[in-house]
Amino acid sequence: MSPFFFYSFATILILASLAVVLARNPLYNVLALVVAIFSLSCLFVLLEAFFVGMILLLVYAGAVLVFFLFVVMCLNLNTVSLASDAQRRFRWLGTVVGLMFASSFCLAFKSFIKAQTMEASTIRGTIETIGKILFTDYLLPFELTSLLLLIAIFGIVSLAQGALSTGKNVENS
Amino acid sequence: MITLGSYLTLSGIIFSIGLVGVMTSRNVLKVLLSLELLLAASNVSFVAFSKFNGDYAGQLIVFFVILVAAAEVAIGLAIIVLMYRRLSTIQADELRTMKW
Repeated sequence: MSPFFFYSFATILILASLAVVLARNPLYNVLALVVAIFSLSCLFVLLEAFFVGMILLLVYAGAVLVFFLFVVMCLNLNTVSLASDAQRRFRWLGTVVGLMFASSFCLAFKSFIKAQTMEASTIRGTIETIGKILFTDYLLPFELTSLLLLIAIFGIVSLAQGALSTGKNVENS
Repeated sequence: MITLGSYLTLSGIIFSIGLVGVMTSRNVLKVLLSLELLLAASNVSFVAFSKFNGDYAGQLIVFFVILVAAAEVAIGLAIIVLMYRRLSTIQADELRTMKW
């Protein structure tokens, strides 16, 4: 039963991430990433990492990608510019480098798996177990992330303030 | 039989797709979306290693990665909106000046 679910969700994940990169319309890029994140969280549930899977679904698909969608709709990006020759050459180069990267990945993993065959452990990442570790061993990093979010808020506010002041300058001049 | 290698290969494929996206797309928004793919690929291998090693640390790191990604996306999208206001485009080629 488990292999069937793994392969189906892995296929959906790969197809959706291809759509993220290849689709022309930015709206479809974002919606494809929502599908990719959904299948990713299904894979996490298959690995019995329930808490992380749900957080991924709620925070990523629920908040971050809706934020993306909001910005895409605000910006009104309907025009598709055609790629020039230089851009097309660059695209070809990027694809070749990516394929080389993928093949080296596969070779590395193959040798790794031949070296050691690990058995899946019985740990279950429920809210209880993850919460216990998060608030004991990982308390300091957890509190530091609040500082990180605070710095992000400062950054956004200062960016927005700069935009407001330049807007006033444009109006004055 | 699903082994650790299956998950790691999947992670490698997703990472490569995201890398191609980051290197080839001109649209800044698309670059940011491909960066999310890179983070997702690393999350897959973290959770797989956590499961197969019997250690919760991998799942906690994924939790922190999600937090950092949320902050990164908020800043990145703010910069994209500002860029669109000033240049009326979000093509990376148009960013030619070092200082506005």
